[in-house]
Amino acid sequence: MATDGSVSPTVSGKYYRHKDIVWLTAWIAGMLLLWIWDALFLNKPALVRLQTALVNSAFTGIMVVVLSLLLGWVAGVVLHLLGRSQWKKTFALATLSVNALRSIPQIIVVLIGYAVLTALLHEEIIRSMFVQLLWIAGVIALAVVLEVVDTVNERIEYFRTLDFVDAMLCCGISESRIINVEILWKNSRSHLLHKMIAIFGISIFLQSSIDFIISVGLSTDVSLSNLPLTLGSLLATLDSKQDILAISNILSNPGYLPRLFITHLQGLSVAFCIVFTLLCMFNIANGFQRRLRLT
Amino acid sequence: MSERTYNIRISTEVRQLVAIHGFRLAESSVNVLFGESGIGKSLIALTISGLLDPNELRVTVNGMPYKMYLASREVSEIRQRGFFVFQEPSSHLNPIMTLQQQLNEGHIAGADGEELILRRLWKDNSSEQIERILEVRPKPYRPSGGEKQRVLAAMAFKKLATLGKESRGALFVFDEPTGNLDDRLRNEFLDLLMETFRRQRMSVLLITHDYSMVSRLTKEHKDIGKDILYRELVLDHSQLRLREFAPGEYLSWLATTKKPSPVADTRTEPILRLDSGVQVFGRSFTFEHERNGGNAIPMTIHKGRITYLKAPSGTGKTTILKLMMGLIGPERMSMRILDSRFSEQTPQRMWQNNVWGKAMSMTFQHADEALNQNSDVKGVFGGLPSQLAKKDEAITRALSRFFQDEIPEDFLHQPVKYLSGGQKQRLNLLRSLILDTHILLLDEPLNGLDLTSSVKVFSGIEERLREGKGVLIVSHNEEIFDSMVAPEDVFYLKIS
Repeated sequence: MATDGSVSPTVSGKYYRHKDIVWLTAWIAGMLLLWIWDALFLNKPALVRLQTALVNSAFTGIMVVVLSLLLGWVAGVVLHLLGRSQWKKTFALATLSVNALRSIPQIIVVLIGYAVLTALLHEEIIRSMFVQLLWIAGVIALAVVLEVVDTVNERIEYFRTLDFVDAMLCCGISESRIINVEILWKNSRSHLLHKMIAIFGISIFLQSSIDFIISVGLSTDVSLSNLPLTLGSLLATLDSKQDILAISNILSNPGYLPRLFITHLQGLSVAFCIVFTLLCMFNIANGFQRRLRLT
Repeated sequence: MSERTYNIRISTEVRQLVAIHGFRLAESSVNVLFGESGIGKSLIALTISGLLDPNELRVTVNGMPYKMYLASREVSEIRQRGFFVFQEPSSHLNPIMTLQQQLNEGHIAGADGEELILRRLWKDNSSEQIERILEVRPKPYRPSGGEKQRVLAAMAFKKLATLGKESRGALFVFDEPTGNLDDRLRNEFLDLLMETFRRQRMSVLLITHDYSMVSRLTKEHKDIGKDILYRELVLDHSQLRLREFAPGEYLSWLATTKKPSPVADTRTEPILRLDSGVQVFGRSFTFEHERNGGNAIPMTIHKGRITYLKAPSGTGKTTILKLMMGLIGPERMSMRILDSRFSEQTPQRMWQNNVWGKAMSMTFQHADEALNQNSDVKGVFGGLPSQLAKKDEAITRALSRFFQDEIPEDFLHQPVKYLSGGQKQRLNLLRSLILDTHILLLDEPLNGLDLTSSVKVFSGIEERLREGKGVLIVSHNEEIFDSMVAPEDVFYLKIS
């Protein structure tokens, strides 16, 4: 016990208190180590493919976060205001649309989005890879936006029950300022940031899952080869699949283990990127929630 | 008279909560402790009584780590012979036991004179009514705050009855024991406490913001005047300090407050008129001029005058204020503000466009709930429909009227959550007072304020009155407001 009357936290106590920072550091360090290893041992074309896939996936993930935040913020506030207005029919219609979207599994929404993208590519309406990535991000954002809408709505509804909203209204402060600045910005930033971290993880997961499905082929004209390269599509290539399957070799031949990290680097690196990112995102979100005592 | 002196330091990992050098507690005396809300009175009392969690906070008492202090003879003595009446009774009563069961737990079970104690604390109720009140469990929220507070006080008196003469010197802490009681019940509690003190000479720490206790104690308990010590916790250049408080400070200030001469004649049209017969939540309310048996009349607010609305705790005073602001939808209401009529059918946008921050503004009772805790001081004024709230210099000027020397350079950027309760209450009031509205509704404006701050707030209110604004006040500080408000402007709220 310290002389100031405090009790020194244990190592596990320290870990849990800074779990998000520990995992963020681990993620950055892990990815950096992987890049250094790959730079040393992975062949150049495969390294370029891996870097491109990582950049594309990360860009898509970030865009999903940005788009879902904007869309969710607007939709959440509009839904709340409609609920309190006299336009009951409009509110019912909006709620019905939101619930209809909620009833469709996220993966189906994304799959439909990819099908439309395929058609647009086929018609050559979309050509640029940047626009394709934006389209993919938009579709995933649509699939996950309800997570943000619900958070925004819950936060507004919760604060509506507290006196400070009424106290501000009575002083002539506008409702839009109270909702956007006082409730969402000043009181819900951490909650929304926590949601954004989770959404980044979800978007990596959904991208990888969909790319695997597409690896089977959506049409004769469109395949993984004319969609932007992402971690999922790189994992779905034959080379990567063979690298992953090589892991089973070590069961019968343990001496093969060191070769895995030299010979089968592409598949293992992609798999590591996906799994390690998902694991880290989960723990960062979890630790962030614990540290800021978000409920 | 022997005194114990404490040097106490309490902090979290992030910041210091309390640091006081030389906190004195006189033994076998009544120590009345004043001070702004949130300044650290309760924390100090909890520390001395050994009730803080040493794993949650970093605490030292007289340089000793708290765990060591907890193991001391002093704390074990306090635990055995002392008692702590908590400020917030709800969280200190067992929700699944009836109040009566809790009054008969442990060694207070066989105490003599329970009936007498209960009859004193529930002065207005018959024995059958008291029995019915005590039959309920604290959840779901059936007893009122005042009832729960009296149950805890009754427990303390039962413990005193059990100890008898053995209670001499034992520490009994009463933390805001009358916060939810009206003046008569508060006086009854004080009288019972002083009578017990005369007999048993225990050590009492009475924590309160209610300066009108001074009047009662000095007038009715003169004989033990030398055993009653008044002290005040103050922040002096960010340092917590205990200072002697002379009863005369309050009494002479009270003598200077006088009923303002009406700016407008009572026969002139009021700027607000709310008719009796307001119906909300299935109850019907009327306004009367006298405490008992008056006729139902409309409640009015006149230019340049204070209207004072009175009623026992829990009657619905705050509900009436919220209804007047259009925050609660009544089943029936007829109100006129200047030339506009308001009823149960008035649409929300009418309140928004014509009342909020324009014709009328309101200060809520609990500053902790009325202010955005995650805002900074400057942010409290953000978005107000007043030019004063637009510039830092103007805000600082306005703040200086209520805070004077206390404003450090970075005060505008300090988070509200780290301010003391009294500072929050002053901010809460200032937000309404800087608005140019015709009417101000103030719900318990003196909540959590010390005398110096209360005087500043009064000067702010008087300034608004001089500008011809009308003020409606709801407050349990009857002694203060009765001295300020003309009898024709005092209304009693009744449930009919």
